Amino acid sequence: MTDWIRLTAPAAAAIAIAGPAYAVQYLSVEEAQMAAFPSARFAEVQAGRVWKTSTGGVFVLDHVIGKHLYIDYAVALEGGRVKRVDILAYRESYGGEVRSPSWLAQFVGKTAASPLKVGGDIRNISGATLSSLHVTEGVKRILGTYGSLR
Amino acid sequence: MEACADMRRARPLLGTFVEITGAGRAAGDLGRAIDAAFEAVARVHRLMTFHDPQSDLSRLNSAAGDSAVRVHPWTYQVLQTALELHRRSAGLFDVAVAPALQQMGLLPLQNSDVVTIPQRASAGEAVELLGNCRVRLRGRAVIDLGGIAKGFAVDRALEVLRSHGLAHGLVNAGGDLAAFGAPPESVHLRHPANPRRLLAQVEIADVALASSGRMFDALQFAEVGHCAVIDPRNGAQVRAIAGVTVRAPSCTIADALTKVVMIAGEAAASLLTHYRASAFLMLASGEIRATADWQDGIRLAA
Repeated sequence: MTDWIRLTAPAAAAIAIAGPAYAVQYLSVEEAQMAAFPSARFAEVQAGRVWKTSTGGVFVLDHVIGKHLYIDYAVALEGGRVKRVDILAYRESYGGEVRSPSWLAQFVGKTAASPLKVGGDIRNISGATLSSLHVTEGVKRILGTYGSLR
Repeated sequence: MEACADMRRARPLLGTFVEITGAGRAAGDLGRAIDAAFEAVARVHRLMTFHDPQSDLSRLNSAAGDSAVRVHPWTYQVLQTALELHRRSAGLFDVAVAPALQQMGLLPLQNSDVVTIPQRASAGEAVELLGNCRVRLRGRAVIDLGGIAKGFAVDRALEVLRSHGLAHGLVNAGGDLAAFGAPPESVHLRHPANPRRLLAQVEIADVALASSGRMFDALQFAEVGHCAVIDPRNGAQVRAIAGVTVRAPSCTIADALTKVVMIAGEAAASLLTHYRASAFLMLASGEIRATADWQDGIRLAA
């Protein structure tokens, strides 16, 4: 039978952490273009936003920017259909209530045997699921706008 | 070609952001492995989404009370696991709570002709597994696999990364994640009451981790206000527990068990033990409980 232990979150856990705490650059625009349309040539038809490919495809760069979230994503269209959607950059910004570059030092082990890695980036986050609805809506809008572009 | 240190990609799938990381092979191989892993996630999405009438799930729901439907082996496997969990959790894990979610507006009604919310049945009574990937839903049951499919997708994607010979892999589907190989991955747990805060940090290796809690709007980080976990005993949203993180050998099991622990809290201990799983939870009061084996791995934000 599993035993339960009580842990106490120090009062300071209620303080927001330093920002931006989680930022990932997945792909550059060029890398995303190459991944979506390997060996195609790209012609920019709308500066920094829309490209047509030599293979008949369309590549659209878009952003979702919220109060605490910033996402660059790219939609590859081919034959009026969505071929591929990639997230290029993802950042959660925390508003900067507490500004400490080594905020990870604040994570203390109650009984942890292993040494604390201080100053490491946040690599992964688990918790209540964040919805990707805004990106999904953006993809639909881009398909509607550029789906017939040839 | 030299082994590439680490490749990390993300796509919007399963209603959230799915991130896949691979290491230990040349860049070209990593790219192919990660693309194939995303394809596995996309396949699970297509088969098990509630929002596409062509999905296995929608075809099953449309044929409820009528004929048996042949589904993909993955859908069948998820339903088998779901029914086993239903039995072992005394009905607390229930894929047939969809009508309650529809009533709350968290899931759409199946077709515009249906004005009344379908009667809620229990998965044990509603889902009939007939063998050979054939499934029948009894009565007017409506099922939803939102409580387990994300974890299953993570397991399938991780399997693809392994089969491509990667030394290290990680798949994170909106907080339901699993990793293999060294070094261990560090995971931060969001504060269940406020997604702008982190509550704790834990290290994982060759294990899965899944979380459940209230839902948040990604763009504003504002609370949507609903808890998508329903207590099948009364059809109501769970309120006593703010958030749960479960660690288990598979992400399918971890994902599903978060729902049971959200409902049952500390009473889920023997079920956790059965699945070699453990849990970390925050009560609505802010108190934290964890199974004893979390003691050495967890760091709380101070």
